[in-house]
Amino acid sequence: MIAWYDTNIILIQSTFVGLLMALSLQVPIRFGVFSFAGIGCYGIGAYVAAIMTIRYEWPAAAAIGAGMLIAGVVGYLLALTVRRLGGLYLGMATIAFDLIVGVLAVNGGDLTGGPSGLFGALADVTTLHLVLISAVVIGLLAYSERGAIGRRVEAVREDPELAASMGIDVRRHRQAAFVISALLGACAGGLNVLLRTTIAPTDIGFSLVVLALTMIIVGGSRSWAGALIGAMIFTWLPGFLEFSGQWQKVIYGVIVALAAIWVPGGLLGMMTDAYRSWQRSRRDAGSGDGDRTPLGSRAEGTPA
Amino acid sequence: MLQDLINALSLGSIYLLFALGMSLVWGTVGILNFAHGAIFMFAAFVSSVITDQVRLPLPALIVIGAAVGALLSVAVQLLAFQPIMRRAKDHRSGEMQILIGGIGVAAIPLAIAEEVTGSNPFGFAGSSYVTSTFSLLGVRVTSTQLMVVAAALVIGIGVIVWLRFSRSGLALRSIGVDPETASLMGVNRRVLSLSTMAVAGGLAGLAGVLLTYNLGAITPESGDVLLIKAFAAVILGGVGSMAGVIVGAYVLAVAETIVLTQTSGLWVDAVSFGFIFAVLLFKSEGLFGRREVRRT
Repeated sequence: MIAWYDTNIILIQSTFVGLLMALSLQVPIRFGVFSFAGIGCYGIGAYVAAIMTIRYEWPAAAAIGAGMLIAGVVGYLLALTVRRLGGLYLGMATIAFDLIVGVLAVNGGDLTGGPSGLFGALADVTTLHLVLISAVVIGLLAYSERGAIGRRVEAVREDPELAASMGIDVRRHRQAAFVISALLGACAGGLNVLLRTTIAPTDIGFSLVVLALTMIIVGGSRSWAGALIGAMIFTWLPGFLEFSGQWQKVIYGVIVALAAIWVPGGLLGMMTDAYRSWQRSRRDAGSGDGDRTPLGSRAEGTPA
Repeated sequence: MLQDLINALSLGSIYLLFALGMSLVWGTVGILNFAHGAIFMFAAFVSSVITDQVRLPLPALIVIGAAVGALLSVAVQLLAFQPIMRRAKDHRSGEMQILIGGIGVAAIPLAIAEEVTGSNPFGFAGSSYVTSTFSLLGVRVTSTQLMVVAAALVIGIGVIVWLRFSRSGLALRSIGVDPETASLMGVNRRVLSLSTMAVAGGLAGLAGVLLTYNLGAITPESGDVLLIKAFAAVILGGVGSMAGVIVGAYVLAVAETIVLTQTSGLWVDAVSFGFIFAVLLFKSEGLFGRREVRRT
């Protein structure tokens, strides 16, 4: 167990960073906001944390916190700017935002290290910190998926007009989605740069958007658990695909395409569906509590 | 100065050839195809592989590139977009899934090309066509540049005329406005979408071959970059407006050339991203577009 942990420590850390990054895209989708801005905030968080650590020798927590604070403010301002956009247009505008962050990093001169990026951001961040932060984040998100908060978020996503007429402040919820996404992205970026000690503009390009998106598409965008499944699969899959040698990337592409086309709910959606139909078949076979499950199933998972 | 203008013109023509197909499909069938860049790259890649074996002239490579592009595009429509549209609850959620499905599908040709070339640039070293350079009034123009500009303008104007005056063009525009009513009027949506995708893919393949000739070699990843630029051109001109795409492509190219020659840094890429952002915020229908019709 210890030996396994030591040999795979990089992958274990990447799984949790990937989870936080995937969550920064999953949370807005759950609010019905198709925003990719979390990845741009990942870049902001990573660069701020690296600059604070290298130049001002701030402790890790303060450096990451500074990145999250700046990203949160940027996320809020972004939410105000793009408030009129929806759907596809919002998606593309936020992708443009992510890429602009990359261009700023390339042109930042000494501050960001230009095209070669920053090196030597040494800090005492350990896997334990990473796990604890992830646990807290998952706890908070799992809480927000239940009860009154969960139902409010669901209403904002499925039918904003209806939600507004029930007295839910849709605009506030959307802004909150942007800010939460920014905080999660910046946290992932800050943690990753302090664990890996380097950051370069090529690390935060379009391919990172695609990676985070694939995680939640294959895992499932309904819940934090989907992001966890996706982060695990796409961190460990390259290792398992080594047997296929040179065609590894092609297999990877086929998996993503198949998931995007045929399994829109992701693996999580598939599993919950399977569990539900198993429950239903068991109920039909005999037992009496017929009216509890249909109600529960409707509340938990309406399709996207 | 004149030299910069010539360069901007040929750059804009490449953008235009690439963006025309994307805009045609998006403005009519309502699909934003994120695999367009991969189709573009793969058509050039297949042409490159073939001409490494057989020495081929330029027209043959153009035909091969366009055919590969058209076939790939039809395959993507049949295997990815149609299943998604059939299962989608409404056009809005389908739109998102098509975006994601396109990104997923695009990974396959990219992976194949990267695998074969080892992520190195590929070109048409085996082709029998040789670029000749003319010098006019102190300005250097290559024959490939002239061809690119001519192809872009002829095809661009041809598409406008076709959409506006032919019966099939009218049918295609009608599914862009109201697919249900168009079907009731006897428009075969399935066949029309497929042939539009084929035309778009063919244009992408053509652009791929011409760009590779123009630059000498391209990398497997160049499709992604062009995709964002073409998106900026389409948005700038207005979704659904073909004249808008022509203007958008050249405005983007001129702006990029100005930034490239006037600033010292690497700010060129910020131009297209900035355009996307600014247009979406301040004039979301673009320069020539109509206000978006929410299709249901």
